[in-house]
Amino acid sequence: MIDLRRRERKSLMVMMRSSIGPLLIVAIALVGVVILSLLLSKTPGKTLRYFFLGPIQNTYYFGNMLNGAIPLIFGGLGISLAMRSGNFNLGGEGQIYSGALVATLCAIALAPLGIAGAVIALIAGAAMGGFLGGLSGFFRMKWNTSELITSFLISNAVVLLVNYLIAGPFMDPSTNLIATRKIPEAFRLARILEPSNLSSALFLAITAVIVVQWYLYKTKSGYELRISGLNSSFARYGGIHTNWYMVLPMMLSGALYGLGGGIAIYGTYYSCMKDFSGGMGWNGLAVALIAKYKPAAVIPAAIFFAYIEAGARNAMLHSDVTFEIASIVQSLVFFLVTSAVLQSVGQKKRGH
Amino acid sequence: MEYAVEMHGITRIYPENNLRANDAVDLTLRKGEILCLAGENGAGKTTLMKILYGLERPDEGDIRVMGKPVVIGSPLDANRLGIGMVHQHFMLVDDFTVAQNVVMGVEPTLYGGLYNINEAEKKVAKVVSDHHFSVDVKKKVKSLTVGQKQQAEIMKMLYRDVDILILDEPTAVLTEQETEALFVTLRELARLGKSLILITHKLNEIKAISHRVAIMRQGKLIGTYNTAEVDELEISRLMMGQSVTLHVDRVDTGLDAKPVIRFENVSVLRRGQQRPLLDKVTFSANSGEILGFAGVGGNGLGVLEAVLGGFVPVTSGKIYHNEVETTNCGTANLRNDGLAYVPADRIEVGSAVAASVAENLIVDARSSFTRHGVMNRKKIEAHAQKLLEKYSVKGTPGMSIGTLSGGNIQKVILAREIEQYKDYIVLSEPTWGLDIASSQYVYERMAELRGAGAAVILISSNLDEILAVADRIIIFYRGAIVAMLAGNEALGASKEELGAYMLGLKRQEAIHD
Repeated sequence: MIDLRRRERKSLMVMMRSSIGPLLIVAIALVGVVILSLLLSKTPGKTLRYFFLGPIQNTYYFGNMLNGAIPLIFGGLGISLAMRSGNFNLGGEGQIYSGALVATLCAIALAPLGIAGAVIALIAGAAMGGFLGGLSGFFRMKWNTSELITSFLISNAVVLLVNYLIAGPFMDPSTNLIATRKIPEAFRLARILEPSNLSSALFLAITAVIVVQWYLYKTKSGYELRISGLNSSFARYGGIHTNWYMVLPMMLSGALYGLGGGIAIYGTYYSCMKDFSGGMGWNGLAVALIAKYKPAAVIPAAIFFAYIEAGARNAMLHSDVTFEIASIVQSLVFFLVTSAVLQSVGQKKRGH
Repeated sequence: MEYAVEMHGITRIYPENNLRANDAVDLTLRKGEILCLAGENGAGKTTLMKILYGLERPDEGDIRVMGKPVVIGSPLDANRLGIGMVHQHFMLVDDFTVAQNVVMGVEPTLYGGLYNINEAEKKVAKVVSDHHFSVDVKKKVKSLTVGQKQQAEIMKMLYRDVDILILDEPTAVLTEQETEALFVTLRELARLGKSLILITHKLNEIKAISHRVAIMRQGKLIGTYNTAEVDELEISRLMMGQSVTLHVDRVDTGLDAKPVIRFENVSVLRRGQQRPLLDKVTFSANSGEILGFAGVGGNGLGVLEAVLGGFVPVTSGKIYHNEVETTNCGTANLRNDGLAYVPADRIEVGSAVAASVAENLIVDARSSFTRHGVMNRKKIEAHAQKLLEKYSVKGTPGMSIGTLSGGNIQKVILAREIEQYKDYIVLSEPTWGLDIASSQYVYERMAELRGAGAAVILISSNLDEILAVADRIIIFYRGAIVAMLAGNEALGASKEELGAYMLGLKRQEAIHD
């Protein structure tokens, strides 16, 4: 009985936290921007105006900001899916990067196939990310290793491997960039808000959100995944193959990252450049945490993150602060959401 | 007579369920004696000891230690007063050595701050030689046997110079030889003038080790006796209490009853443990009967439940469902095969507290709400609404189940499992923590299931419940079946009789089925 009451209170607190928490994080981050500007800028008023209004002042900045949110949406979805199943995927960096490379190389190789080739190449990129994520899930199932650690370690190794491949065997000798060759023109996604970089990838991202939401809440597999995440003993008791739900969600999570990488290539970069995705994996994690692993909430959370980055870039261009202000604010956000990470890790440990 | 501890009029009420865990308990501990505190599960032994060790505060009553009135607010207070407790679950750091574990919190220091490991090892080695322990103080705890770990726990207390030592079921995890060695140590400690309290419900141990035995039942102290003056049967009778005649309508199980679930020589062994958790268990649960399993905690009922639920694989033996073998086929397959099961642990196993009532209600029937992989939310909601009404649960389909009361959670679980059942159902501690009305409700549903021809397997540590509803009774002691009572035997059985079997005093010569 004691336990029940405590749980009741706890669930209420969780509910309050889940709605107030993210807003509070956003508010604190924005206050942080103000304080930083006051401290660092000789013309804080101007800095703040460019920071807050810059990203929405014209279609160019606005479109670029939205474009920056797209990979974060995919990453945020990937993390949310894993977290919902009680798995922790820290391998986003490697999954997004290798997914992008595989998608790029396949796209170049499959150019003659036209649209089918474009789709196959994207799927191949997603499969790459899915493979990496699934590997960690498989290790956990087989040897009870922590997927949190293995996904992180595998990812670190893969980033270095991809760096080598881009700088070595697959480097395009015709440019001075450390990058692969460009994907065929026909594969590139249409720009939808000229002159900005925003492409129809935005619609793919929104579609992904809808699909993940549908999967989690409407399908049997999504139900099994969520129940496994909420209480794996209960899931097992109910006849759910809980082992499978150590592997599948990690695979899907990695696949979403990999797909995000491929789509970033198709929509924005056209070739896989060295370190083009650096930080996207981690920012995807922060986005998922702000969104409290709710697929629909991933969109505003990703836009918020992209907004901070775009604001900082804008303030840097038009005022006297450096781009690091974005990093500081993002670190602040990370710092604030870390409490949530630690909490969920603690809960998971108790569940075992 | 000098007393080390005098507890007077101790009352502890848990306000959440208005349970009197301790009701005006008077307990005395003489200097240099070994006192056994005996009683069934839930009798209030542990609560009383937690009060003495400062983990709980009494609502009423006072405590004297060595003649002086004291207030014990925390285990630190208790330590200062010379009271130590060895918990049932060891509190040791596996990667530290014995010496490091023993001195933890009161480490000897060098130059007023540096950890003096040599001094620690020397001091702990002295404790070891003084008390004839058999542990190498430089060994890491993870390499010790269970018995040695317990020695380390006791050393922790001796190192802190406690005079009064409480041990919570110290032999629960020990082998017989280890138990013997422990008893030698405890007698030696008593001879040196330490006063000891052992929480236990093992009768042979009470007889073997204690000077006096204090018996608790339902929060009250029944009495404290000189161990030499009471025999095991008398202790058992005092622990169990008088039979409560509480009979539920019984039906003739009929002659055409067929075995639904059949165990054939099923054993479960655990690595590193000699005594099997289940020891060659053979029985059959027949259609149209309630088969009750009784036993004291730690004697195999929990393992039996886990085996029936498919959580624990059996080491040897075979299990049949309708004469088709289902040994070790896993919970998912058992579910497909028609397993309906109300687990003892409702919160950790029987429900996902954060999920909605509707989602909790379909976990084992999710496929019937699915077409082409997509679930029909409307159908699920309607199903939940129907069951909530049918089983009169106070709640709505959309609420998370964790916000319901304990009784209502149990009703949701019952509803789900009864709707799911094909020909048998396993219920473990189905009325644990429920009030009388809810318990009665559960019994009525069980009787209905039996009437419908189901094999109802009831696992319960509540003897009144077993006696009231079971058509046949199987009693476990140390993982093995020691008695099987059927027909008039089961009807006429008394608590004393069951108690004698449960505590290993008696054993049926030929166990019949």
